[in-house]
Amino acid sequence: MAHSTSTTHSIPPSRSTECRAECRARLRQVALASLLLPALLLAPALSKAREYLQVFVAQPYLELHTGPGRGYPVFHAVPRDQSVDVLFRRTEWFKVRTERGVEGWASQAEMLKTVLADGSPFVFSLGDRAGFTSHRGEMGLFAGAWGGANYVSGYASLSFNSQLALEGAIGQFLGRFSNGVTGDVGLTHVIVPEARASPFLMLGVGEVHTEPKATLVQATNRTESMAYVGGGVRFYLARRFFVRGEFKAHWILTKRNRNEESDEWKLGFAFFF
Amino acid sequence: METGIRILLLTALLASLAGCASVRDWYHQRAERRAERRAAAEAQRTQPTQGESPQDESAPPRVIEPEVSRRKIKVPHIRSSNVELGLNYGALSIEDFGTHPVYGLTAGYHITEDFFFQAEVGRSRGGRTSFETLGGNIQLLTESERRFTYYDLSLGYNFLPGEAFIGRGIAMTNAFYLLGGIGGTDFAGDTKFTVNFGAGYRIVPADWLAVHVTVQDRVFQSSLLGTTKLTNNLEARIGTTVFF
Repeated sequence: MAHSTSTTHSIPPSRSTECRAECRARLRQVALASLLLPALLLAPALSKAREYLQVFVAQPYLELHTGPGRGYPVFHAVPRDQSVDVLFRRTEWFKVRTERGVEGWASQAEMLKTVLADGSPFVFSLGDRAGFTSHRGEMGLFAGAWGGANYVSGYASLSFNSQLALEGAIGQFLGRFSNGVTGDVGLTHVIVPEARASPFLMLGVGEVHTEPKATLVQATNRTESMAYVGGGVRFYLARRFFVRGEFKAHWILTKRNRNEESDEWKLGFAFFF
Repeated sequence: METGIRILLLTALLASLAGCASVRDWYHQRAERRAERRAAAEAQRTQPTQGESPQDESAPPRVIEPEVSRRKIKVPHIRSSNVELGLNYGALSIEDFGTHPVYGLTAGYHITEDFFFQAEVGRSRGGRTSFETLGGNIQLLTESERRFTYYDLSLGYNFLPGEAFIGRGIAMTNAFYLLGGIGGTDFAGDTKFTVNFGAGYRIVPADWLAVHVTVQDRVFQSSLLGTTKLTNNLEARIGTTVFF
């Protein structure tokens, strides 16, 4: 830091604009570093949880991999009746520590064969079909088309029961003639919630903010209300994840003589909780 | 035709919403809990009467009342560490506008050992086009329009997992990954739909830390220089992320 201030002072005043640009760049770098440093320092402190779950190996042995993935080699085997502490989980892999202090990664499939201190099996669910049928909420992201423009959006939903949910979505469309953002709230009715591919219907209201491209005549930004009706299908993949495709037909209530209609098609990836 | 689809959907919705009336389990979680509580209370009420009058008269009277208290084990929560947040710095070649430093933020979420989501925001600056340089005092864009901001959401796929070694004692896991996604780019006073794809290399020196080297191409349509064309904007960057 001391070095950097001395160099900025040595620059003659005639090059003040360059200096300012340089200062700004340096300031940016310092800001970046100051953001990164606390994150780096904080992380190990956060990872030091006090109490770990202890499980006992009930199968002939528990294989430990060097990394959280099937491709990483097995480097250690914990024999039956020995215990391991479960430090944390990353995807379907558990980082464990043996009684001797060896740390490695065990897969979820292997961990489900272990038992707790009282002899009961270690149960850990990362989501299943029953959860897909009935859950409290959903979140997801979509890509698609909005009235001919490219469309990116995200949604969140709150379930009243397995069939009816309150949903909110926001999105951005980027097209040749206009860009804009949309937001809507509505009710979704899942017709057959227990099916792997379950169809649903939607009804709701929203707002759309349109920014026409500057080259067009009458190019003024506008915010308009809209109402929609739609339908779609959600398809369960695995764990807590599913694919969701949907169509929404929007009526845009304009201030002009005619209301507009706009179609929204999208396909996305979502999870439930 | 579009109106036809709307009417069809509305009719289907109205027809199926009628089915909602028959749904008894509104707020099903709460209802379940209430039922459980009721069952527990009932069991408590019936238990003392059972204890006083044994149902089977022929059975010998119990000498010792077994008092076994079941031990309930409290299972500590297993922390999940699937989220990756970080900063990066690199170079971005903006088509027709030269190569300039880029800095950005990334946030990742690891879904499985193979797949992850990644959201990115980055900022750079476009320089002068050759047209501007040769043309003398021509300014295609204002200073603020030269600011290049991108944001996108990508899906990543890990492949070729392995380990890298430093000397005898240190081994670090690593993997290559492919990235592909969509997003937007703010440049030249307009936001453009942008498709990105690329590849990267991740090395993990500690469980909570990763270092990334990524090369990505951001493709969007631009008609800044007369004709409409697809522009390729290549980006190479190095970054650090922290797992949470």
